[in-house]
Amino acid sequence: MSFLFGQRPQPSSAEKIAAAEAEIEMVSNMFNQLVDTCTKKCIPPQYREADLNKGESVCLDRCVAKFFEVNVKVSEKMQGEAAQKGGAQGGAGGMFGQ
Amino acid sequence: MDSLTPAEQRELNSRMERKQMKEFMTMYSKLVQRCFDHCVNDFTTKSLISREESCVMRCVDKYMRSNERVGERFQEQNAAMMQAGSMAGR
Repeated sequence: MSFLFGQRPQPSSAEKIAAAEAEIEMVSNMFNQLVDTCTKKCIPPQYREADLNKGESVCLDRCVAKFFEVNVKVSEKMQGEAAQKGGAQGGAGGMFGQ
Repeated sequence: MDSLTPAEQRELNSRMERKQMKEFMTMYSKLVQRCFDHCVNDFTTKSLISREESCVMRCVDKYMRSNERVGERFQEQNAAMMQAGSMAGR
């Protein structure tokens, strides 16, 4: 994310910490979302046994992989649309550099 | 990310610790909610019947294991994605 500040003076301590925190927060939110949705989709509410069975394990693996794929595809599509709309203003796909 | 000085890193670390604590509490309450919803449906008794109790135990185990597994896969996917350089925030 530091490339966004390429032409500005060195960011302050607070700004750097806030930027690092925001990035970690973004990843952490994604993880929580991922856990919530994949446990809902893959773990039936019966709890016949304590261990994950093979089906559940494989389901979780695939769920994570697909979630990431969806994430990438959605962001690519949104960046594409933003670039089209904001083309005149030179708006690059940096709007998601949060 | 810009590189942080040791002092800044310490500040970030302590914030992360607080955040992790908060997240643990959130996970804990979600887990209680989930296991209660799925396992406890009999209100003819005041305390848990043995079926409900063992269901709750299995529920907690299962949830923790699936959390772990998702975490492992997440790290793998995240690392692969960083390498490919195609993260949304690039």
